[in-house]
Amino acid sequence: MEVGHLSDRTKIFLLLLPAMFIIVVLFFGGLMIGLMRSFNYMPVIGLTEPDLSAYISVFTDREFYLSFLLTFHIAFTSTVISSILAIGAALLLRRSFVGRSIVNFLFQLNLTVPHLVGAIGMLYLFSQSGSFARLAHEFGMIARPSDFPALVFDPYAIGIILQYVWKEIPFIGVIVLANMQSIGEDYESVARSLGASKWQTFRYVLLPLIFPGVLSASVMVFAFTFGAYEIPAILGANFPAALPVLAYRKYTDVDLAARPEAMAMAIVIALLSAVMIYFYVRYSRRRIRG
Amino acid sequence: MTHVSIKELTKVYPGATTPSLDRLSLEIPTGELTALLGPSGCGKTTTMKMIAGLLEPTSGDVTFDGRSVLRDKPEDRGVVMVFQNYLLFPYMSVADNVGFGLKMRKKDPAEIKRRVGEMLELVKLPDLGDRKPSALSGGQQQRVALARALIVQPNVLLLDEPLSNLDAHLRFEMRDLIRSLQQEMGITTIFVTHDQEEAVVLADRVALILDGQMKQYDRADVFYKRPIDEATARFFGGHNFIPGTSDGHVFDCALGKLSLPEGATTGAGKLTFRPENVRIGAGPDAQNALTSTIAEVIYLGTQTRLKLRVGETEVDAVVNPNEIESYAVGDTLPIHLPSATLWVI
Repeated sequence: MEVGHLSDRTKIFLLLLPAMFIIVVLFFGGLMIGLMRSFNYMPVIGLTEPDLSAYISVFTDREFYLSFLLTFHIAFTSTVISSILAIGAALLLRRSFVGRSIVNFLFQLNLTVPHLVGAIGMLYLFSQSGSFARLAHEFGMIARPSDFPALVFDPYAIGIILQYVWKEIPFIGVIVLANMQSIGEDYESVARSLGASKWQTFRYVLLPLIFPGVLSASVMVFAFTFGAYEIPAILGANFPAALPVLAYRKYTDVDLAARPEAMAMAIVIALLSAVMIYFYVRYSRRRIRG
Repeated sequence: MTHVSIKELTKVYPGATTPSLDRLSLEIPTGELTALLGPSGCGKTTTMKMIAGLLEPTSGDVTFDGRSVLRDKPEDRGVVMVFQNYLLFPYMSVADNVGFGLKMRKKDPAEIKRRVGEMLELVKLPDLGDRKPSALSGGQQQRVALARALIVQPNVLLLDEPLSNLDAHLRFEMRDLIRSLQQEMGITTIFVTHDQEEAVVLADRVALILDGQMKQYDRADVFYKRPIDEATARFFGGHNFIPGTSDGHVFDCALGKLSLPEGATTGAGKLTFRPENVRIGAGPDAQNALTSTIAEVIYLGTQTRLKLRVGETEVDAVVNPNEIESYAVGDTLPIHLPSATLWVI
């Protein structure tokens, strides 16, 4: 076939087709099925009257609110801490110094480590029967290993946040570093020569310039940490559990009636993270560049 | 009101074997407009950054009114640098860009607003304060960058290739603006450029830097009339270099014996004269008159470039296209070289 006869528009459409197919069928298809089930609508097993009972039971359950607060705390704290540390790391790494390429390599190394592996590492190191607890006991800093502060399965989700921070710093850092390198240092030179101090130059010039990169990276991190299941499942306390863990529990409940509730919860998680990201983007844009 | 003096300034970048700038010394009197002229990579921008405090010299000193400023932070030097690509902060409005330096000095917002207004008036952009830099033309961006620099009333203003990104007609407009603002405010100004025309058009004095070293530091016209050596003359568009010997009054070479102006050097050297100083005709007293043959004609609109042959020697000339009826290859053309326009290097 002579491709040259096709209009540009047709060509673009054909090229996008495979990707569009996956998005439409898998993503929207899954979303539609989930949505239908969350409304108790499932003609296959005779449920043809949609209702809101699953949503009502989600929103009347106290555990849901506690889980939401915990999940928000995990996502927000991890995003803020890893963004700040990543910007700091990028500021150091963009300078030239001896051994820079080695440090750079080490900095990015854990991008290749799966979350799950990292979480198990955390468990080995930080649990009350883990390496640090034993070391502390060995050196007489604590009487029993179980006196070690609870950093995993703890109510403040410190273990989960540590794991996310450890994993996301290089992710945000690499994006911010690339951003800084493409911007160069001339804008900062201008600011310095116009009388800005080092801090003012960072606050009023570099930060606004790298802001789009930081924003998109941190939105990705927030959305991921808000909706991820495996880390809170491994490192989190039993009650309250993070929202995705709660949803999965409902889904695998022996009582099949809990499934619509699981679906409703998943839909709520998606909506909540969309709403929070919207407000985050709006607020921070005004704050940094305004 | 600052007398800038640069003493033996040297910069060797880490890992480099040859210095980017080799013992440059320069005195820039208060309120003067000086050009640092040289090809790209000759150390001009390096020099500016060291004056501004954005780069540390390997050795040497920079003093303002006799006091070394090397230990002063860039923001404390009273030096503002305007970069070649303007570097307006893209996320700020024009007014916020201009007011940036005052905001960093924590001036009162009402005062900032008033002075930004005055400054935009001065650079003839009074109504563009609310625009984003991306909505401005190159010439407008340049003027905003200038306003942003001048608003902090610097002692020393540094300009990096201030005219090179502008169209021909904007160049003269910007030249007049820079000159008038600079004279009005009396700011000692240094600019760098690789373009000899830009240097001549704008500067009181020109420092020519070749290969990291200063060749000549003089008023602009001297570079045309009395270049210090062949490289300098070539940089300024010189083409004619004829070897021979001088006795101080007469230069003996392949063109014959030509009389020299007062003060010419003696001994073996090269005779140089600018193509535009080659005159057609034998001249009033037949002094330095030669007979040439036209070897090549290049018509350039407002002028015509000729390659002439005098015996075996080639002479480049630039003449008025309408001075004679026509120029044709192979024609014989009488010329003369006024002795005041000759120089021995």
